[in-house]
Amino acid sequence: MFEARLTQGALLKRLLDSVKELVTDANFDCSETGISLQAMDNSHVALVSLSLRSEGFNPYRCDRGFSLGVNLNSLNKIMKCAGNDDIITLKADDSSADSLCLVFESPVNERVSEYELKLMDIDQEHLSIPETDYDATILMPSAEFQRICRDLMVVSESVTIDISKDEIRFTAEGELGTGNVKLKPTSSIDKPEESITIELGQTVSLQFSLKYLTNFTRGTPLSEQVMLCLSDNMPLLVEYKMDIGYIRYYLAPKVGDE
Amino acid sequence: MGIQSLTKVLGDHCPNAIKSNEIKNYFGRKVAIDASMSIYQFLIAVRQDGQQLTADSGETTSHLMGIFYRTIRMVENGIKPCYVFDGKPPTLKSGELAKRLERKKEANKKLEEAQEAGLSSLSKFLAWTIQFPSCNVFYLCSGDMPNVDKYSRQTVKVTKEHNEECKKLLKLMGIPYVEAPCEAEAQCAALAKAGKVYAAASEDMDTLTFSTPVLLRHMTYSEAKKMPISEIHLNKVLEGLQFSMNQFIDLCILLGCDYCESIKGIGPHRAVELIKKHKTLEGVINNLDTKKYPIPEDWQYDEARELFRNPEVLDPNDLEIKWKDPDVDGVVSFLVREKGFNEDRVRKGVEKLSKNLKAATQGRLDNFFTQIPSNSNVSTKRKLEDKKDTTSKKTKPNGNRGRPKSGSKP
Repeated sequence: MFEARLTQGALLKRLLDSVKELVTDANFDCSETGISLQAMDNSHVALVSLSLRSEGFNPYRCDRGFSLGVNLNSLNKIMKCAGNDDIITLKADDSSADSLCLVFESPVNERVSEYELKLMDIDQEHLSIPETDYDATILMPSAEFQRICRDLMVVSESVTIDISKDEIRFTAEGELGTGNVKLKPTSSIDKPEESITIELGQTVSLQFSLKYLTNFTRGTPLSEQVMLCLSDNMPLLVEYKMDIGYIRYYLAPKVGDE
Repeated sequence: MGIQSLTKVLGDHCPNAIKSNEIKNYFGRKVAIDASMSIYQFLIAVRQDGQQLTADSGETTSHLMGIFYRTIRMVENGIKPCYVFDGKPPTLKSGELAKRLERKKEANKKLEEAQEAGLSSLSKFLAWTIQFPSCNVFYLCSGDMPNVDKYSRQTVKVTKEHNEECKKLLKLMGIPYVEAPCEAEAQCAALAKAGKVYAAASEDMDTLTFSTPVLLRHMTYSEAKKMPISEIHLNKVLEGLQFSMNQFIDLCILLGCDYCESIKGIGPHRAVELIKKHKTLEGVINNLDTKKYPIPEDWQYDEARELFRNPEVLDPNDLEIKWKDPDVDGVVSFLVREKGFNEDRVRKGVEKLSKNLKAATQGRLDNFFTQIPSNSNVSTKRKLEDKKDTTSKKTKPNGNRGRPKSGSKP
């Protein structure tokens, strides 16, 4: 028996929103410790990894580990039927799950809606992601990151991120011209969510596709701050932390001719 | 050509080994292409009204058309192609080549017959229409035209000039090519094995027998065909058949290859069974009922096997494979002035080449992270997962990059 009840149902909506553009089908792996999801996009350039701890749900029950193969588009359609304040409960029979049951309870009136989503058999390639000590780790307001990506998209389809001790620079060069955005570390005691910090082992300069980065910034509503981790010749890690867990995106860099 | 009914065997025993993919998912991949095979395909397929394309002088240009536009198509999709040309055929292939020559002669003869038949029926028809002018014209179609087409395709031969012209064009386009000492497939496989390229692209299934880790088919097909590329992984083939590489080579010889005869009466199904049971060709021979299945006289299976195991190839590490900027004027003067191509189209094509070769290529995550073999039937076998994962990782040759799941050391 699997059951997970989430009081802020809107969170689930936002989470789904941040994944569904990147992958169409994915397995939700449910275990005693929580729910997780790992999926790559079709061309194997980007990977999304989602983890929700069991403590975030009330109650959470999962007797044994199993997977829920879901078409995210279909799930999204059903989630649209839930109100933003609804309490959402996910239920499935772990021994022979062929459908996922979603219950939406409205907190104000007695309305309870119940939907069943048919599950799929998804043969997915799982990647093992090694723990990495990144050369550079940046924390910055997620809205700022979203804006930079959106703005530079006007100029080019790729962006170069240069990080030194006291500056982060985003540069784009395209046919119509060039653009660049510079950020300096700042800290604000009143508004910690607006601070920018750089942790640097060594300077980094890497190029990434803006199409994917803007795609990642769909996670912006999940968290005030975003963490970017970069290392030379390694995939970029973009992380949005939530109270209940995290969503991580990995993106392979663009490489010049060797 | 290649290995008889190997595709069928793979489909039956290891469907997992074959994946279909769109061409655009291969961006950033370097691919070694069996040039001789491709040129042959172009000569057959690139046609108008059943005739090969020709310049004003009457020379065939189908092969150049094919190489030029299909290469651009690959480059536009971010693929970096490297062509490999055949060298001298191995002596073992002489039997097969003689057979092919015979077939060509036959086809030539039939072509003439068909043309004559077509002509005579045409003249009869003309005489007839003069008598009955209002009659239906559909009669013309029932002449021998399809046969003319069929046989003229069978008479196609790739000449030395074709090869030289293609090499010249590739050089001007800035696309690297390798001249193999012997079989091109073997050289492609060697390049892929050494990690110089991601995969070997050929229609010939024996590229797998030459142990390329990945084989791509339908790479040089035209866009219009909408044929997805099929990607065959050797390790999954071996896993599916539960064969070692040597056993796989023996199986291919038993199925029938270009280098020696096969035993009559043994089809794909029995071949797999026999190798499974007796492990090697020697084992099969010793246990075979020779009355029922006569073994060919002085059967050179051992030589063929040696050819597959240690083919004559250039050491991939000595080869320099570099993509350069195309020589625009060179391509134009060759294709437009000499071969009568449309200048606008050629210029546009070359532009695409230089644009795409310059752009930084998008990397892939598979290059950084290791793949954990996926367990199908996850829901039922979940309990075993941890155990399964660690064991399968141990057997993986490059497992050192992965991280063991639960504290066990690789």
